[in-house]
Amino acid sequence: MSETAFVHREGVTRGGSWRLVLERELVDLWLGGKALVLLTLFSILLGITAYLMATNNELRLLPIKEIAYLMLKLVVAFGLFMSLIIGADSISGERERGTLEGLLLTPTSRRQIMLGKFFAALSAWPPAFLLASPLIAVLCRDSQVVSWSLLWGGILGTVLVLGVTGLAMLVSFWSGSNRTSIAVSLIIYLVFLLPTQFPGQAQTGAFGDLLQKWNPLEASNVFLAKVIVNNRTVGEMSSWLVAPILFAVLMLSVLFLYASPGLGLEPGRARGRASWGRIAGLLAVAWVVATMLVGAYPTAAASSDSPVQVVVDREWVTARTGDRVEFTTLVKNTSSAATPPLIVAMNIINLQGEVVDPEDWSPQRTQSMDPLVPGASVEHTWIIDAILKGDYLVYMVVIPQPAGQESTSSPVASSGIHLTVTPFTRINPRGVLPLAVGIPLSLTATTFLLRWRRRRAITVGEREG
Amino acid sequence: MNSEDTAATGRTSGAGVQAPILEAEHLKKAYNGRPALRDLSFSLAPGRILGFLGPNGAGKTTAIRILTTILEPDAGRFTIAGIDSRCPEQIRARIGVLPESQGYPKEMTGVGYLTYFARHYGWSAKDAQRLSWALLEVVGLQHRARSLIGSYSRGMRQRLGIARALVNDPAVVFLDEPTLGLDPRGQQELLALIRRLAREHGAAVILCSHLLSEIESVCDDVVILSQGQVVAKGSVLDVIGRARGSGVRVQVPLSAMADAEQVLEALPFVVRVVPKGQGSGWLLVEVLGGSAESNIAHNAVLEALILAKIPILTFEAEGSRLQEVFLQLTEETIR
Repeated sequence: MSETAFVHREGVTRGGSWRLVLERELVDLWLGGKALVLLTLFSILLGITAYLMATNNELRLLPIKEIAYLMLKLVVAFGLFMSLIIGADSISGERERGTLEGLLLTPTSRRQIMLGKFFAALSAWPPAFLLASPLIAVLCRDSQVVSWSLLWGGILGTVLVLGVTGLAMLVSFWSGSNRTSIAVSLIIYLVFLLPTQFPGQAQTGAFGDLLQKWNPLEASNVFLAKVIVNNRTVGEMSSWLVAPILFAVLMLSVLFLYASPGLGLEPGRARGRASWGRIAGLLAVAWVVATMLVGAYPTAAASSDSPVQVVVDREWVTARTGDRVEFTTLVKNTSSAATPPLIVAMNIINLQGEVVDPEDWSPQRTQSMDPLVPGASVEHTWIIDAILKGDYLVYMVVIPQPAGQESTSSPVASSGIHLTVTPFTRINPRGVLPLAVGIPLSLTATTFLLRWRRRRAITVGEREG
Repeated sequence: MNSEDTAATGRTSGAGVQAPILEAEHLKKAYNGRPALRDLSFSLAPGRILGFLGPNGAGKTTAIRILTTILEPDAGRFTIAGIDSRCPEQIRARIGVLPESQGYPKEMTGVGYLTYFARHYGWSAKDAQRLSWALLEVVGLQHRARSLIGSYSRGMRQRLGIARALVNDPAVVFLDEPTLGLDPRGQQELLALIRRLAREHGAAVILCSHLLSEIESVCDDVVILSQGQVVAKGSVLDVIGRARGSGVRVQVPLSAMADAEQVLEALPFVVRVVPKGQGSGWLLVEVLGGSAESNIAHNAVLEALILAKIPILTFEAEGSRLQEVFLQLTEETIR
């Protein structure tokens, strides 16, 4: 027996032992193939979607902001799916393969083991996001839209991935078998996706709002759609961030504070005295606090005979989808008396009679004005985002504030701006194709190469044996 | 700890009895109200090898999992190398374990696997690799160090598991069915390795095995569990000797059976004589007394038969092998 083999080493439980677990898990995930296979499948799906967006005539009419939003929605959905599958396998899978016991027998603390596994389960999200980024950049070709979309897609995607990974690992922690863990995790994921499948009416009103606002996935989608596509400000939409953030915080708290110390061979036997009642209480309190925060958040409040004039500086504009159109208005008091406070509002109608949601077209549709003294005038600048092809008329209305509850006022309208929006033609399918095809091909080749090397290593090993 | 609870008091040296490296007191564990371990107390001195025996479901694995901090006991406590069971991470730093159903990552090489585990004990990457090569040599796997574990045979994986149990030079080693899947030569080499581990490096070893001959040949002490409770503990010789007092089996020619029964029943220390197996000539002779007295009784039985000129075809002291003691003790508990 070699003496060197028995040099005593005092076991040291270092704070960084999670890195060892992470290293090991990353090798298993990425060289073992599961993560790479999932990423390859994602890249194929992403490539097909990007190519369809770039080439299909109907889809090409999508405004660039919507392309960015749809691509991000796909990336986040698949990123969550990958994290869910990896997280759901992380504990119950190791239990079934018999490899968890060896790890539990080391001096590394349960929390460090959980931390290493958690970071490993997160590892699929950054490459998924990075793969989608060049495609979004090529499809949109508007640095402002691209950077804004990637910023918020990245932030919200990361928050959701944190929460979903935590959730999947908790399910894995409590599950008796790996099959149960993956099935339960997928069912929970589908339940989160379910509200988006409800008929439109079911998504409106107090209940629909509640469903959307408190479903972390749906709340994130609404936030991204409004902030990226509809020009809403982050401040306006911040209440939609509560659910995803709270979801992530809750999942991580339960995972690391409650479940981790009880990580063992038996499913869901947390150590300590934390009970389900306490956890449920914690969840309830957190939810109530969040409800209060949302309730306290000021909702955007909409706030009406006078001789005023409003004129616009343009008569007609031609733009392409995705373009930004700027014009100014001049509001002038032409009477000999001061006006009451005024509101200037912008409206847009489709000349073919199609329904238009003006909010989708402009970040700011109304502006308030102080009373104007006789002869005074005020100039305003307005922005319109040409989001859909068609024939439109943009016009302005000045509304004097009514004198009291039992009085009214007469709005004054400007002449119209005839806006013609032509289809977006800057997307170059030839620019997309190399990426749409190249990324999946490279990943597929890498996956096959790694598998071939592994098979070869085993064959050589067996021959040597 | 009560001295009566001590199964393995340790070998005496010039300085006297060595202090136990492992002390377990009244360990209890139940699953959903069903007791798996009722009251386990024993101690183990450094350099001793303790066999853990019991039929399936006796509580061996539960006991091992409690002692290796994988499970928490419902009651009781234990210390390993002076570290209390309430400090599981410190205990895990001083023990080495080969679990019964160990899984191995197929994508890792043997040396990579050991290096990974050695680093969990605070070794630097370089030192951990050096140690891993040394351990692979110890278990005879150095020629397959760089092969993927996926290409290892079951026996090779078992040896790799043993090497992993040794990466921290443990004070107490727990081996659950270590020879499982090994060929006879591999079994002998492994048992020799276990002996060296205990004798030369002073590690206490707890060996779980269904191969009672293996326990008998390599262990100093034994704890026999049945239905979650200890039915026997002490040195292997003591446990065998304690059961030997029950009697002897004698085979005589069929024609001499009646005479033999008459002669033996006349002896004062014989409780009863029972013919066993129809027409086989076997007689079971139950005698009084402990192990010392029963040795005298066995001689007296032989002497009486010889004096009566009854041919003795076979003579066996009942309970002379650990296997028989084990079967007798565990059968009694089940009844």
